Amino acid sequence: MFKARAFKTLMAVALITGASMLSIAPRGAVVYAQGSCATAKDRYKIGFANLTDSVDFTKAVEASMKSAAAKTGKIDLVVANNNLDGATALNNAENFVVQGVDGVVEFQTDEKFGNVIMDKFRSQTPPIPVIAIDIPMPGATFFGADNYRAGRMAGEAGGDYANKNWGGKVDYILVLELPQSGPIPAARMQGQVEGIQAKLKTPVPEANIIRLDSKNTQDVAFKVVSDALPKIPADANIIAVEINDDTAQGTAAALEAGKRTAHAIVVGQGAVESGLTEMIKPNSLYLGATAYFPERYGDKIIPAMLDLLNCKAVPPAIYVDHVFVTKNNICQVIPDSKACATLKASGAAGTAAATMSMTMRATMAATAAK
Amino acid sequence: MLQETISRPARLSFIKINPTVALLVAFALTCLLFGAFAPTFFSLDNVITIAGTLAVVGISAIGMTMILITGGVDLSVGSVAALTGVTTSLLWPSVLPIWLAAGVGLLAGLLVGLFNGLVITRLRINPLITTLATYSAVRGLAFVISGSQDNQLGDPGFQFLGRGNLLGIPFSLILMLVLYLLFYFVLRHTRFGRNLFAIGGSPDAARLAGINIRWHLLVAYGLCGLLSALSGLVSASQLAAGRPQAAFGLEFAVIAAVVLGGTSLAGGKGNLLGTLIGVVLLRTLDNGLIQLNVSSFYQDVARGVVLLLTVGIDQLRLKLEKARQK
Repeated sequence: MFKARAFKTLMAVALITGASMLSIAPRGAVVYAQGSCATAKDRYKIGFANLTDSVDFTKAVEASMKSAAAKTGKIDLVVANNNLDGATALNNAENFVVQGVDGVVEFQTDEKFGNVIMDKFRSQTPPIPVIAIDIPMPGATFFGADNYRAGRMAGEAGGDYANKNWGGKVDYILVLELPQSGPIPAARMQGQVEGIQAKLKTPVPEANIIRLDSKNTQDVAFKVVSDALPKIPADANIIAVEINDDTAQGTAAALEAGKRTAHAIVVGQGAVESGLTEMIKPNSLYLGATAYFPERYGDKIIPAMLDLLNCKAVPPAIYVDHVFVTKNNICQVIPDSKACATLKASGAAGTAAATMSMTMRATMAATAAK
Repeated sequence: MLQETISRPARLSFIKINPTVALLVAFALTCLLFGAFAPTFFSLDNVITIAGTLAVVGISAIGMTMILITGGVDLSVGSVAALTGVTTSLLWPSVLPIWLAAGVGLLAGLLVGLFNGLVITRLRINPLITTLATYSAVRGLAFVISGSQDNQLGDPGFQFLGRGNLLGIPFSLILMLVLYLLFYFVLRHTRFGRNLFAIGGSPDAARLAGINIRWHLLVAYGLCGLLSALSGLVSASQLAAGRPQAAFGLEFAVIAAVVLGGTSLAGGKGNLLGTLIGVVLLRTLDNGLIQLNVSSFYQDVARGVVLLLTVGIDQLRLKLEKARQK
């Protein structure tokens, strides 16, 4: 009788312990017994479904994923192209399941398809852990931009420029946005506008904040900004805030063609190669952009994925360490960029570094320490 | 007695309206509407803005008009424009001076057009399929040769093409109008032009009349490629960069303008003046809606509605004319 009672007690303790471990187990991992992890292996197959392969940003993400995976020596990375299309993303997800991947990194923007895709992965045994890049998916660990923060940094830089060069007087804000992309990228536009307004003694009135649909392309940005300029007096001070480097270039071209160069600047998001090239042009209107460092995504995503697969705790969201990049700090922030090479070749990099603000140096030092 | 002899079809004669005139009236009404609600619509700045941004669609539309007149279509115009800009930007300044680089870009566009023409005439593949294939392949080529990178085109002389003014008139507008005059003459007053109409109207009849259909189509597609390439140069000049992503969707904007201008998708019918008005009307619509701060979603709806209305009214007019002739 004593043995039976002891056995029951032991079973109860084991059950309680097991239940406790399950409740704190990392998302997507199944713990069968103390000390073992069902998904832990010596070598992993990880699927990476990229948003598209035709844009600077996503190409850089892909390259960084491949490089980081190769460095570990124990990952076979399977790459697919979601082609900016939800249905294609779903097909790729099904393909990953068939290929027996251990973990998935998803970069897709369709919310409805995201739910279906996640269901596919979570219904496997064991569930396939997922890291979602830039656009959250339910049940996935988020990795990506802190969009509002990134926008705010650019907006504040624009406001600082206005205070230094225009006596703090900004007459118009042009907002080159992408309304159809939803609330996530919209946060960076909100951050930019609010960043500017926060720096000004007299904020720009709402009637003078002109919102334009950039359709995410340089050509359309050029056209819509050209169309908006006749509404704005010729000597008005304008700050244009951008959804990305592409639209920033189109906006800068329109401001140049419209002869508004004396009273306009552009701030943006991304700091990809084409944007950096625009920044270092002589008399460029592109003041700077908040960097998202797509070329470093892999360095954070792959270790996070390995932690998930090894049943280690991973925070639900991992953010990029953003830095606002201007021509003055390109070589410090993104030293292997072509723009930095161009600056060095022209001897301008040293001068730019010397004039970099103390605030910027502190920000970069803090980022490096992380 | 006199009234009894007026037949039903005759009573309909008053509605015979020249479609080009109707389009002009539509354009005038659009301008009046925007002018009434947008204070800066009729400002000189705005008129020059519209005028300076017509050429990219306008020049491509010349080539598309010729192709649609023959009963064909060319979906590769946007891809050709991108390839031209990319080619030019890769060759300048390290390989060639700017205008030679631009010449090579134009040549690339011409070659794509001739390739389309050869495939359509020799392999007898449908123009829609052929140019859909080149739409994809040429765009891909632009990405491949550029490494998916933009390349700057900072030459001030080159930028004059898309941004410069002559006596206050945008140079790109002047270029576009000269081309319209030239090709208007070609279409209306040369055998080549008349033969294009004949081919589109009835290929069998054209063949029986001794028209060398293959040669005419080859030249027409070649010219369309060349004009698309020129559009690409204007676009690259405005943006000061050669970009593989440039001119996405140009083909649809061009087709919309050409059809709006009265050119028939079935072939055999079209006119460049109508195309020009179509280009200006659609561009003015975009501009006016932005002046009025209308949401871009409504802009897309408006464009579609205008196109449907105009084409629909034209179809109704044709029906009523046929009924009158009976």
